[in-house]
Amino acid sequence: MKTRISRWIWDALTSLKLTIVCLSALMVLVVACTLAQVNRGTLGAVNLYIRSFFVWWEVPGSGWSIAIFPGGALVGLVLAANLIAAQAKRIEMSWKKVGIWIVHVGLILLFAGEFVTSAFQVETRLAIEEGQTLNYVESPRELELAVADTTDPKKDEVYGIPESLLARGGPVNVAGTPLSFHVKGFLRNAELSKLEPGDAPPLANRGVGAAVSARELPPVTSDDEINRTVAYVEPVAGGRSYGTWMVSNALGAPQSFVHEGRTYVLAMRPRRQYLPYSLTLKKFRHDVYPGTDIPKNFSSLVHLNHPGRGEERDVLIYMNQPLRYAGKAFYQASFGKGDTLSVLQVVENPGWLLPYISCVLVTAGLLVHFAVSLHRSVKRRQAATLEA
Amino acid sequence: MKVAKLIPWIACGLALAGALVALVPPGKPRGFDLNGFASLPVLEGGRVKPIDSVARNSLLMIRGQQGFRHAGYHVGADQWLLDLMFRPRVADSQPVFVINDPDVLGLLGKQQTSDRYFPFTALAPHLDEIQRQAQAAHPIDAKQRTRFQSAIVNLFDRVYLYYRLRNTIQLDGTPGLAAEVAGRSAAGAAERQNILAQLAYFRPLPPGAGKSPEAWRSVGESLQSGDAGADSAALQGWARLAAAYAARDTAAFNGAVAGLRGMTSSTRPDVQRQADHEILFNRAQPFYAGMVIYILALLALFASWLGKPALLQRASFGLLVAGAIVHTAGLFSRMALQDRPPVTNLYSSAIFVGWIAVILGIVLEWMYRRGFGTAVAAASGFASLIVAHHLMGDGDTMEMMRAVLDSNFWLATHVVTITIGYSGTFLAGAIAIGYTFRRHLATRLEPSTTKTLVSMTYGVVCFALLFSFVGTVLGGIWADQSWGRFWGWDPKENGALLIVLWNAIILHARWGGFVREKGIMAMAIFGNVITSLSWFGVNMLGVGLHSYGFMDKAFWALSAFIASQLVLIGACLLQPGFWRLRRAAPERRASKAA
Repeated sequence: MKTRISRWIWDALTSLKLTIVCLSALMVLVVACTLAQVNRGTLGAVNLYIRSFFVWWEVPGSGWSIAIFPGGALVGLVLAANLIAAQAKRIEMSWKKVGIWIVHVGLILLFAGEFVTSAFQVETRLAIEEGQTLNYVESPRELELAVADTTDPKKDEVYGIPESLLARGGPVNVAGTPLSFHVKGFLRNAELSKLEPGDAPPLANRGVGAAVSARELPPVTSDDEINRTVAYVEPVAGGRSYGTWMVSNALGAPQSFVHEGRTYVLAMRPRRQYLPYSLTLKKFRHDVYPGTDIPKNFSSLVHLNHPGRGEERDVLIYMNQPLRYAGKAFYQASFGKGDTLSVLQVVENPGWLLPYISCVLVTAGLLVHFAVSLHRSVKRRQAATLEA
Repeated sequence: MKVAKLIPWIACGLALAGALVALVPPGKPRGFDLNGFASLPVLEGGRVKPIDSVARNSLLMIRGQQGFRHAGYHVGADQWLLDLMFRPRVADSQPVFVINDPDVLGLLGKQQTSDRYFPFTALAPHLDEIQRQAQAAHPIDAKQRTRFQSAIVNLFDRVYLYYRLRNTIQLDGTPGLAAEVAGRSAAGAAERQNILAQLAYFRPLPPGAGKSPEAWRSVGESLQSGDAGADSAALQGWARLAAAYAARDTAAFNGAVAGLRGMTSSTRPDVQRQADHEILFNRAQPFYAGMVIYILALLALFASWLGKPALLQRASFGLLVAGAIVHTAGLFSRMALQDRPPVTNLYSSAIFVGWIAVILGIVLEWMYRRGFGTAVAAASGFASLIVAHHLMGDGDTMEMMRAVLDSNFWLATHVVTITIGYSGTFLAGAIAIGYTFRRHLATRLEPSTTKTLVSMTYGVVCFALLFSFVGTVLGGIWADQSWGRFWGWDPKENGALLIVLWNAIILHARWGGFVREKGIMAMAIFGNVITSLSWFGVNMLGVGLHSYGFMDKAFWALSAFIASQLVLIGACLLQPGFWRLRRAAPERRASKAA
């Protein structure tokens, strides 16, 4: 009995029918993902259909969700398993099949590459104005609570508390300082307005937050919107509370308090990653074709300074020509402020080479396979003409 | 026998000769050297082109055609532009505005009749209303506009283009360019110069020696600038040309044209050579000629199935080759003119898709010799050139490439391979459609021919899978190179992926034996649906990084195409002669009884 079931499973896993079912399911998902982008934005649609194990449907009015279709991740895994199992079953190491072998190895690498990318790729950005020098990149989505010790007028000590820690709640100790933050409230996305009479009393009792009310909103889905995140934190140091503060990336004014003669400034801002090197934007260019608005070229002339390596040089970053440095790649992405601000997209992806290898393998495999098939068919036809 | 062997050559030669006739320059209509005027280089849309291209593209945008008949004469684009610039009252009475929308016609107080073309004079009393309505519709997103709003914005844009052209060299209602040059510091001149500089649609004054090759200037800019001397010769030339044309003085006009041509030939010979090449290309209209030859090839082939198979089939192949030669010449001319790989926009992708299908069809014909390759190649070539023809209305088809696309390496690799993939998928679909027709219409079905068709389709699907996969992955690599993301699930990327998946499904279904002859053919026809959606459909979504090819007009055409393909799939799966069943049934009963 047991063997019959396992045989059945093995047959199903290695069958070509499963391949076709998976490929068809993938087509359905890709179509759905494409259409959904109109309303949900690319990231939302991809997370819903592709980077998920199931596509969920919320039953209206019940708060329940039902899995109605396998998601891209599940289909991809099944397809990869099917591919590997089918190759193992029909272990035909003949020259006739060598092309197919190479193709399938390449495809497995391609799937692996997409998994590595979705798991490990880190995308950040660098918005830099002409003449400015920066030694950090920022996350386009994630925020952090920056606590800056500004006591020394020459140099600020900055400590960052990631958004994810704030979302978890509870006390957060800031290493290197005597401070500890008690998170009293966290709203991923909210609308801020001036506190009106009749509003619920605010959680914050210090800073501008004491006069502001926040209404929770669902997190944004579109790619060009950002969340206005709000957190209520209570700094505690040496057994003393400094009140409850509202921090948000939607609030402009910095807020500060003094503990034992040291001034701490609180700000919610895009999460920063500091680099061991710095970049200075020397010149940003935005050329158009004469007599038109059609952009001809965007380029950023950047000065790279890495004291640790004793490296110092100018780099020109332009379309299709990124700067690849120390595991990161800097791409010309956008611009602003009357062509004085350049926005570079910064990508770190340990799996970036996999698709390249896969591409070469699959192409070679398909070529070999079709060449072998063509050769056989020509031979067959020659034989047929000889017989006739 | 000998004559029969010559038939394809004769057919091919005649068709080519017909296409070459268009290259002969026209004489001097009513004594004006229009040909010389047409070849004057100007800068418009970011590139230097002969004024002929400006005239043709503008008339194409305004009227939808590159020439028209008026008052018993044929008016070509160049003559129209000359009239518009230097005899505006004459041009204003020529019916150049095509208006189809009944609501817009109603706004002008007109009823919809068979005559859809109106002169500027018919629009003039309503200009304020047109502008008011267009301004109201303008802030609405192009996709959200009603039919009337789109039509009124479109009409306003065309009127504005007309107005700009009329005020590019000299302002309408002023004494003319000569007076403007002479009195450049007179009272009120500064304001007129400013308007001229604002409205100029093209820049006719070439950069002086030692200046950047892109530093062309408009008349207004030149008059405004301090260094008048630099352009004075060219300004004087245009002033003479304008005055002579208005005064109908052929000798002075021809002299002015020769003078301006001589100036560019001596200072910038390469620019003049390029302009002359483009004129030849404009006049030859190779893709239009190719379309006509392909349809002739198809007709010859259809006739061959009715009778005289051997003779006409050969003639048809000869015509197909002639069409392919013209098509190829056009394609390579475009590449040389643009200094780019063949595919740079939607229009050129249609031309290239057709070209690849034709070349593959010729190869198939040469391999199998059944007339089938010819039929499919001629039909695909014709269809794709028709599609290209309808994509032309947006103006210059050789526009400049946006910064991110400005990479000949990636245009030559990713874009070309992916387009070959489209082409292969369409060709497989076309063979399958041919199979469907044959299945229902042919009186006698030879099994060997059917087998050939199936193996042809299989081969082409393999070919399409190879190219669409490689093209898609190369696109990923380009994306990785230019913004650090190998795969972003962008609609256009997804469209390409769908083609790859579908071709893979066809091949796996065949290898597994899940589908046979009919099934493979029906799936190949569905490939047409997928490819058309990937090629045009995703552009209509208007999202993503590839939305520069946005188009809304083609929505209905695309829907109709998809519907027709679904009907064909149904037909492919039905029994041959299914419509005869009713009639055949009593007969069968009768035979049983017997």
